Amino acid sequence: MVGLSHYLILGSLLFAISVVGIFLNRKNVIVLLMAIELMLLAVNLNFIAFSHYLQDTAGQVFVFFILTVAAAESAIGLAILVVLFRNLKTINVDDINSLKG
Amino acid sequence: MNAIQSDLYAALPEIIILCMAMFVLLLDLFLKSHNRSLIYIFTQLGLAAAAVVTACTHNVSVVSYAFNGMFVDDPLSDVLKLMMYLTTSVMLVYTRQYVSLRDMFRGEYFALTLFALLGMMIMVSGQHFLTLYMGLELLSLCLYALVAMDRDNPRATEAAMKYFVLGALSSGMLLYGMSMLYGVTGTLDVAEVANALLQGAPDRSVLVLGVVFLIAGLGFKLGAVPFQMWVPDVYHGAPTAVTLFIGSVTKLAAFAFMIRLLIQGLYVLAIDWQGMLAIMAVLSILIGNITAIAQTNLKRMLAYSTISHVGYLLYGFMSAGTNGYVSAMFYIMAYVLMTLGGFGIMLLLSRKGFEADNLEDLKGLNQRSPWYAFLMLIIMFSMAGVPPTLGFYAKFAVLQAALQAGFVGLVIFAVVMAAIGGFYYLRVVKLMYFDEPLDNTPIKAPIDMKVLLSLNALLLLALGMFPQRLMDICAYAITHSFQ
Amino acid sequence: MNFNDYVFYVLAAILLFAGLRVITSRNPVHAALHLVLAFFTAAGIWLLLEAEFLAIALVLVYVGAVMVLFLFVVMMLDINLDKLREGFWEALPIALPVGILMTLEMVMILGSKHFGVDRVAAPTPHPAGYSNTAELGRQLYTDYLLPFELASVVLLVAIVAAIALTLRDRKDSKFIDPAEQVKVKRADRIRMVSMPADVEIPAAAETEGKDKA
Repeated sequence: MVGLSHYLILGSLLFAISVVGIFLNRKNVIVLLMAIELMLLAVNLNFIAFSHYLQDTAGQVFVFFILTVAAAESAIGLAILVVLFRNLKTINVDDINSLKG
Repeated sequence: MNAIQSDLYAALPEIIILCMAMFVLLLDLFLKSHNRSLIYIFTQLGLAAAAVVTACTHNVSVVSYAFNGMFVDDPLSDVLKLMMYLTTSVMLVYTRQYVSLRDMFRGEYFALTLFALLGMMIMVSGQHFLTLYMGLELLSLCLYALVAMDRDNPRATEAAMKYFVLGALSSGMLLYGMSMLYGVTGTLDVAEVANALLQGAPDRSVLVLGVVFLIAGLGFKLGAVPFQMWVPDVYHGAPTAVTLFIGSVTKLAAFAFMIRLLIQGLYVLAIDWQGMLAIMAVLSILIGNITAIAQTNLKRMLAYSTISHVGYLLYGFMSAGTNGYVSAMFYIMAYVLMTLGGFGIMLLLSRKGFEADNLEDLKGLNQRSPWYAFLMLIIMFSMAGVPPTLGFYAKFAVLQAALQAGFVGLVIFAVVMAAIGGFYYLRVVKLMYFDEPLDNTPIKAPIDMKVLLSLNALLLLALGMFPQRLMDICAYAITHSFQ
Repeated sequence: MNFNDYVFYVLAAILLFAGLRVITSRNPVHAALHLVLAFFTAAGIWLLLEAEFLAIALVLVYVGAVMVLFLFVVMMLDINLDKLREGFWEALPIALPVGILMTLEMVMILGSKHFGVDRVAAPTPHPAGYSNTAELGRQLYTDYLLPFELASVVLLVAIVAAIALTLRDRKDSKFIDPAEQVKVKRADRIRMVSMPADVEIPAAAETEGKDKA
């Protein structure tokens, strides 16, 4: 019998996959952006699962807004990526090293 | 008044800023390049109007809720908003020459600044996870774009990309933490979350998991160690005008965000977040002060200095008592004034094609202009925390609050680190007074900027000697907003 | 196990597979397509959770708009695939244990101890005729008015920022402005030049003067 914990574990697995993805693809900005989308998907899954089991629509409303913001965010992220590519002719983070801490 | 009218009345300053942002955006389309300064004037007018409305609609000691309890108009939000208008307005004065010399004097720059301000105002007044999140994202999106605004500069674009990726990651963590809190408490409203926790939440470990993610997200946004890696790069890469904005005004919003989430929402879990904040505070002071010594770039040095200041700010939160919050609020106000001054001097010295962001650009400032060297001296002393300045009193208040809360060892550590940190601020003073200037280009700036910059630095001295007034305002804002 | 449980396990397996492929695939286009698959299966799982409106919105907004934008940018930029993969395997020994540890801790907390079937009862299904969309719509326009307005501002900022960052005036573009064409007066195009008449060959000088005009 599938319960709330199954959905939450699925969400946490997805979240962990996206965090590992961010670690692994530090050089590949476009996959980084996709990993961030995946992370938000995991969060959304959490909210919807809680919302379903609490029988409270507030969680679904929150997801609605996360979706909106994430769409706006990816538009700006891709715009910055295009400008970056134009300036550096690369999206390899390894070449992005004029700023060193 | 019916419900919707009173809602709109409470959010009147926000509505003014929003309208002005859209008006500026439209106006820009119809202006020829020689009368672009109209945009600047209208932006300043919008800020002034919002300030007047905020001050006039301020009800002494009254907390009123609007939009179904999602938005609050209390003394804390009014004081912080007034400070935000002031800082943004001063920032626009300081950066006016800088942006017009770098092809950034466009409608988008001013509109995005106003939109970012709107986001911060929402964060200050947010009483619901959703409102807080929307305000935060509105601010962040504007900042990503502003950092990349100087779009032919590869360094700025690179900084924007780093800022964007880490900012989005931290939003994700923050949201994951919020989802856990929602799951346990069943509500997203800050006050109701606090109530649910008071009644004793059963799933302690789930709550702690949520708080860990929440603190990690907050740490990223604040730039506290170990989540500080973006701060120096973004400070360095962004145009100085935008660095000033990120370094000063946004910290006020971050302060309010922490107050709303941790103290109004999760006070019951104070034992859990106190420890995490303490670790972040100690590491921030340590890493910030030590690494700043090695910097040759003034912007990077100020970035590490910011990290250490965040550490001191967290000392105020960590003590989890009214005194602590009041001193933290005092600290953030002092920090904002100091940062404005420090970057103001940098903007003053910059010219077309010259950023003045290296430490050696300050060499011999005393010979070039004794007055500005003196102002910079006050600012550096204040950042280091040398006695008659505001910075000293701010550090003193924060550490005193931490001492009262029983963190004796941590306070001794902070005092030692402050002494070590004094070294790199004094190095700046040494460069200004004892070295020969590298270039003798006369310093040119608009008169309003010169006057404001002088006032700004002198204010650090004056408030350092008479801090009580500012302290009273902070105490009023904190004690009358929540118990 | 009933039918819904089988559906959940199948969809969850596909979702995790797609997520793994997003972060490991060599080609960004493949990664984007696997992300589309992940969104589709996630929408299916949301349907199991009775979030019909959001499931449809996820497919429409994400698969329909955001992922197309991603694919557009991937294909517009000229990407060197081999360079992107450098350092992938070096990061793996650190990233993998961290990821596994994180998952284990989260699974321990989120597992059946706190949220198992015995702890959290399955909610009663909504009655026939209940509309998830209508309910969300009612809340959005009443209780959540402020965030709703803020969402519109966020979208406006995204438009402004994306245009401000990427739109450039082309220096080599050739275009005509009809308003300018209409406004032209005779005096803008022709110039009357008075030339002294040549006395010796009067007829030739006159025609030359007319040609000039």
